[in-house]
Amino acid sequence: MAFAKKSSPRRFGRRKGCRFCADNTLKIDYKEVRTLRYFISERGKIVPRRISGNCAIHQRKVTEAIKRARNIALLSFTSNRTVD
Amino acid sequence: MRTYETIFIVNPQIAGDDYTAVLEKFKGVLTDQKAELLKVDEWGTKRLAYPVKKHEQGTYVLIIFNAENDVVKEFERRMRLDDSIIKFQTLLLEGGFEAPAPVEAAPAEETSEEASETEE
Repeated sequence: MAFAKKSSPRRFGRRKGCRFCADNTLKIDYKEVRTLRYFISERGKIVPRRISGNCAIHQRKVTEAIKRARNIALLSFTSNRTVD
Repeated sequence: MRTYETIFIVNPQIAGDDYTAVLEKFKGVLTDQKAELLKVDEWGTKRLAYPVKKHEQGTYVLIIFNAENDVVKEFERRMRLDDSIIKFQTLLLEGGFEAPAPVEAAPAEETSEEASETEE
């Protein structure tokens, strides 16, 4: 019996469309920490696609960028300490 | 000739002229092997997201260059040997690299160059 997706609080992004397809031309890059910050939770975890509303292509790119940013200490693996 | 993008973090204690010495040394490593430096970008000292080798801060340097593939191997070997570099990461830029058009007015948000990467 397919369970309805649990209606988690929509913290990030609109469910409508992918942020990158439609509106801005901002590139997904591991150096652009500000953009990636939308896609990690308070605990520093990557927000799943069903919540971030990304399309598959961009979600994969975002995930890859986040992992690269973590590798070079731009993003933290755990708590979401602000990197100023 | 393929386009690579390397970002590395220099030990925060190293500053001033010996920082520039380290930087010149690694630029030299690249130019000795006939690599063509496209862009060298220093971000200065930033707070790291997590302590790396007991350092809370680090000086970020980004280098984008055109090179053969064995140049990268040598470049990374040198960085591993040198203990002033605490972390580095090299990427292959699939889409090559076009220098951002020189913008007359200072752009509000620095236009980052187009770089779609793949596995390094």
